[in-house]
Amino acid sequence: MSKLTSAKKKRWLGIFKRPDLSTRKANMGWVFVLPFVIGLLALYLPIVLDSVWFSFNSISYQLDTTTNVVSIVVTPEGFNYYREAIANTGYLESLLNGVGALALNVPAIVIFSLFIAVILNQKMAGRAAFRAIFFIPVILATGMMETIESLDILSDSLETEESVFASGEYSGFLGMFDATMMLSSMKVGGELVGYVLDLVTRVYELINDSGVQMLIFLAGLQSISPSIYEACQIEGATAWETFWKITIPMISPMILVNGIYTVIDSFTKGSNVVMKFIDTVYNAPNRHLATAMSWIYFLVVLLLVGLVALIMSAFVFYQKRD
Amino acid sequence: MDTQTNSTARITKETKNKIHIEFEGRTSFKDRLIMKLTSTSFWIDKVWYLCRFILMFGISFVILSPFLSKILRSFMAKEDFVDATVSMIPLHWTTDIYKALIQDNGYFTAMLNTALLSLICALIQTFVCCMIGYGLAKFKFKGNKLVFLFVIITMAIPHSTLKLSLMQHFSNFDLFTVQSWGYKGILELINGGAVQLTGTFWPLIIMSLAGIGFKNGLYIFMMVSFFKGVPDELEESAYVDGCNTFRTFLQIILPTAVPMMITIFLFAFSWQWTDEFYSTLFFTGNINKTLLLPDVFRTIPESLVTSYAGQAMYYSAIRNTAGLLIIAPLVIMYLFCQRYLVQGIERSGIVG
Repeated sequence: MSKLTSAKKKRWLGIFKRPDLSTRKANMGWVFVLPFVIGLLALYLPIVLDSVWFSFNSISYQLDTTTNVVSIVVTPEGFNYYREAIANTGYLESLLNGVGALALNVPAIVIFSLFIAVILNQKMAGRAAFRAIFFIPVILATGMMETIESLDILSDSLETEESVFASGEYSGFLGMFDATMMLSSMKVGGELVGYVLDLVTRVYELINDSGVQMLIFLAGLQSISPSIYEACQIEGATAWETFWKITIPMISPMILVNGIYTVIDSFTKGSNVVMKFIDTVYNAPNRHLATAMSWIYFLVVLLLVGLVALIMSAFVFYQKRD
Repeated sequence: MDTQTNSTARITKETKNKIHIEFEGRTSFKDRLIMKLTSTSFWIDKVWYLCRFILMFGISFVILSPFLSKILRSFMAKEDFVDATVSMIPLHWTTDIYKALIQDNGYFTAMLNTALLSLICALIQTFVCCMIGYGLAKFKFKGNKLVFLFVIITMAIPHSTLKLSLMQHFSNFDLFTVQSWGYKGILELINGGAVQLTGTFWPLIIMSLAGIGFKNGLYIFMMVSFFKGVPDELEESAYVDGCNTFRTFLQIILPTAVPMMITIFLFAFSWQWTDEFYSTLFFTGNINKTLLLPDVFRTIPESLVTSYAGQAMYYSAIRNTAGLLIIAPLVIMYLFCQRYLVQGIERSGIVG
């Protein structure tokens, strides 16, 4: 009886007592994430909330000439900016274009970077040099370089099909014309041929966009235990079978990560169509409208990330570790 | 059977690493060669190696050729751009563009400023993201998942969404305040006024310290995946030996994370270096403006301003040359550090 009461007492006193070791250790985690939590609460969330507020209100400055004091006049706009954004045909068009381009780009980037990562993971002559060259775009072709590239009229990157036919230099070695003829005579559907040719013409862009994804895939490939491949080899599986039965399932979590990363990255980089459009609106200057537009845009991004995650996570295989 | 092979085996050559053994009844070298050359798998392998090499070489060419043509065009004189016979190799070699960019656009000042900014931000971001990543990966505290969700959200919000309010917040800096709602922040309560931080390095340093800077979500994500792969036993043995959490982190965990930290440092440094968004947002409009690298390519140097038939192409080449100058220090850094980049990733054992 006395034992029971003391146990009860202990439980009541438990709030004031030091928690057990595992809880104490777990709580030390807060110390490590403290910079982020403080930054989030003190700075980031206020910035986000302000941004939301800016999209619902307009601010104008009025100079009172008698007292020489600038007063800020806030007019609540409700959903006016959002209505205006949706009614803006240029915005809707660029949004649809952006989403359309993304639907084409995400599979292409993920497949391409997986393919290159698998090759770069094999032993071959000059592997170190190829690796060094393949990761140049990750370091160099970002930010300002993208802007310079987009302003460049001397650019070699093959933007449109016309330019390919116009510049003899490239149509020479890519043989685009012949490829078009050949593929369209294969009777595989015009859209598919168009899609593949479009990717080939944008190969430079594709390589530039898939740098980080390649790195993530390479890391994933390295983490697959070699003994699995050894077992496969002993069982007599061909390289093709090994790729589909071992590499793809083992790398599938990376495919999910890369799919999400590609959506986020291609939507948030400055060279994106929608970002460019919003930038021009911002500099018009129509800052509140631009903010409202980019909130709509963020919701679209979030929706797409969710969609990609939902579709891809159905195919993800997690290895059970013991 | 064992004894039979042993009796017929003869060591022909023995070095430190290799032993050549010759068996009595072995197929002769000539026959072995013929069998190898007539097998299909050998040739399939060779054809695959060749195709792979050509493919890799071709893609490398696609990556490098724009740089090559930019370098060659940067040495062209004005008249070469209207000359139809000149396509890649300049007819009149000149370094005018480089000279003008360095003198008129203040390249070296801009580079040193950017180098300082990038170095400070990259060092802080590497350490802070490492810390946050460790906290999220190794401690199962309540709210762990929520914090991680916020990390992902900071990555997904496009810059342009926050452009206006970032500008407002840092030109009128205060903590814990939603300015539009009129609440007073901490600094206003203590100091009696908010501080203007635009035009200095502080906005970027503060964002780096909090792990909410440019692409920091990605770094934290990479660090979390890395630390999930580090065995718990490592820390446990340190705890048993009497280390506290911080000493374990500094002396046991950080050294294991060095390859990954180098990768993140490289990313942070070079992305901050080529960043245009933040360096124009926080550094605009002042008279005593800190020159940063985006200013080098924005304006055409005064001594090169012309109007002639090839003007557009010439200006394009000037911008490209400015781009080359901007990335030149990064290229040098990359030459030395590229192996760490791949090594860091390889050892990371990132698992999704």
